[in-house]
Amino acid sequence: MIEKTIEELRKDLDSKKITSSELVKESIELAYKYQNDYNSFVTICDDAAINEESKGALSGIPCAIKDNMSTKGILTTASSNILKNYVPFFDATVVEKLKKAGAVNIGKTVLDELAMGGTGTTGHTGPTRNPWDKERLIGGSSCGSAAAVALGIVPFSIGSDTGDSIRKPAAYGGIVGYKPTYGLVSRFGLFPFACSLDHVGCFTRSVKDAAIVMDGIKGNDKRDMTSLPDTNVNFENEITNDIKGKKLFYIKEIADRKTYEDDYDEELEQIITNFEKVIEDYKKLGATVEPISFDMKVLDAIYPAYLTISCAEATSNNSNLTGIIFGPRGEGESIEKIMFDARTKGFSELIKRRFVTGSYILQKENQERCFLNAQRVRRIVVDKMTQLYKTYDGMIGPAAGSIAPKFKSENVDKLSKRNLILENYLAIGNFGGFPSITLPCGFVNKMPIGLNITGAVRKDLEVLNIAYALESIYPYKGQIAKEVK
Amino acid sequence: MLGGIAMITKEKLKNYANKLMFDMNDDEYETLLKEFDVISKYMDLFGEIENIESVEPMTFPFELDSIELRNDSDSRNIEIEDALSNTGSKKGREIRVPKVVD
Repeated sequence: MIEKTIEELRKDLDSKKITSSELVKESIELAYKYQNDYNSFVTICDDAAINEESKGALSGIPCAIKDNMSTKGILTTASSNILKNYVPFFDATVVEKLKKAGAVNIGKTVLDELAMGGTGTTGHTGPTRNPWDKERLIGGSSCGSAAAVALGIVPFSIGSDTGDSIRKPAAYGGIVGYKPTYGLVSRFGLFPFACSLDHVGCFTRSVKDAAIVMDGIKGNDKRDMTSLPDTNVNFENEITNDIKGKKLFYIKEIADRKTYEDDYDEELEQIITNFEKVIEDYKKLGATVEPISFDMKVLDAIYPAYLTISCAEATSNNSNLTGIIFGPRGEGESIEKIMFDARTKGFSELIKRRFVTGSYILQKENQERCFLNAQRVRRIVVDKMTQLYKTYDGMIGPAAGSIAPKFKSENVDKLSKRNLILENYLAIGNFGGFPSITLPCGFVNKMPIGLNITGAVRKDLEVLNIAYALESIYPYKGQIAKEVK
Repeated sequence: MLGGIAMITKEKLKNYANKLMFDMNDDEYETLLKEFDVISKYMDLFGEIENIESVEPMTFPFELDSIELRNDSDSRNIEIEDALSNTGSKKGREIRVPKVVD
């Protein structure tokens, strides 16, 4: 039963074909069954409570929540040793809203430590594996949330997205991953990585389900000063697959084989061929699709700008992890020594490297060349996109430059166009706070690949519609990883 | 000089780490030093964009028109029991901390 979509489960629950207790039990059993092989969870909530009084679209539906969101009375580690014993005494707003809507949290999911990574391999409880192929990673940082949905443990999960941390794992896992407009979902209670880029979003197995989840978790929150005012939109009721007359664009250089001359391979050929098919399918659906050229130098600078801004903000955001306010107490004779010891022991090497990078970027002598230039790149990109959205309803593009990589992959050339652009351009969505969704659009070497759609600020419904239309003519809605099927 | 900036050294990296109140071992600094080859090239990419210096840095995704200043009054308090629930060591209603002042 639990492998169904939220929409289907709602009907079964309302017609009393099943009960919420049965669903939750099945969900928890599956979570345990797959835990050793895939490592989706930091904590599985055996005593997950059912809210009998709620009657909403999410009532009685099991879900999973990324372990960087505060859950009252439930261990919340951010997959880091420095928070390995932390039990919040309050709920994040998104958790509070899910509870109110009647959704049942069955577990806290693994992430890359402090959400600072894209591989799903750096959490303190070990790597998360891809349900389509255990030899491959699922991507990160929302690795456990993606795996739990791809495995069919839960019909939806909550993730966070600072560069592409929902949308890329969704592509690698053959599911839907949605990051709404910045401010649509409150960040109160989310452990910050880079505040100006962080978003809360969701994983589902259908676009309609993403709309349903968003209806449940959106809304103005006085505790988050960047929260947007409420609107009357109801995504579930208003979503439509009629996109006749809609205008879409794609970045010409991203879909151009010549861009990747240095490391072009058969896999990339199939990804680009698939994308060309998507373009034709959108035209069949009545949309227009046009190529738009970007300055290659700006495209090259997107990932470096993301890295710069996120590392700089992260060094500041995580300065409260001292072993005094948060984390296991360090040893030493002075406050400084206690903090120094706690932070030296509490952070993994990767996190320390990122923090040092942030520290370097913020040094007075480097700020102009690094930090301020990165923020200038951000404005150039966002201004260009905002201008384009005056004419177009959405941008489409491949969600990743490869299928999910193997754990022991060869070192990638970090300066190649494939890595700099195709693997990392989704950060555009974070730069401008644009709503952005990934949905499955095909297979390459028996692994799923995804399409990304990014739209204008506050045009979340438009983005959902564009995704919903394509999903309606593709056979991937509701799919679960075949390895576990 | 490298890319218009002073050469990165292990000592400098150690200084940056120490400013953030942690340390790494020698091997970790070596790995990071190699990583800075790429990071430095990344930073050089910004400078290749024409007239980048004339662009105003952007610190936030978009202009917010809904921000209000809150009144300077209590809005949320932490209950003592809640605050104590996460402490490693406590005595009665107080958190036990190590002695750091003579």
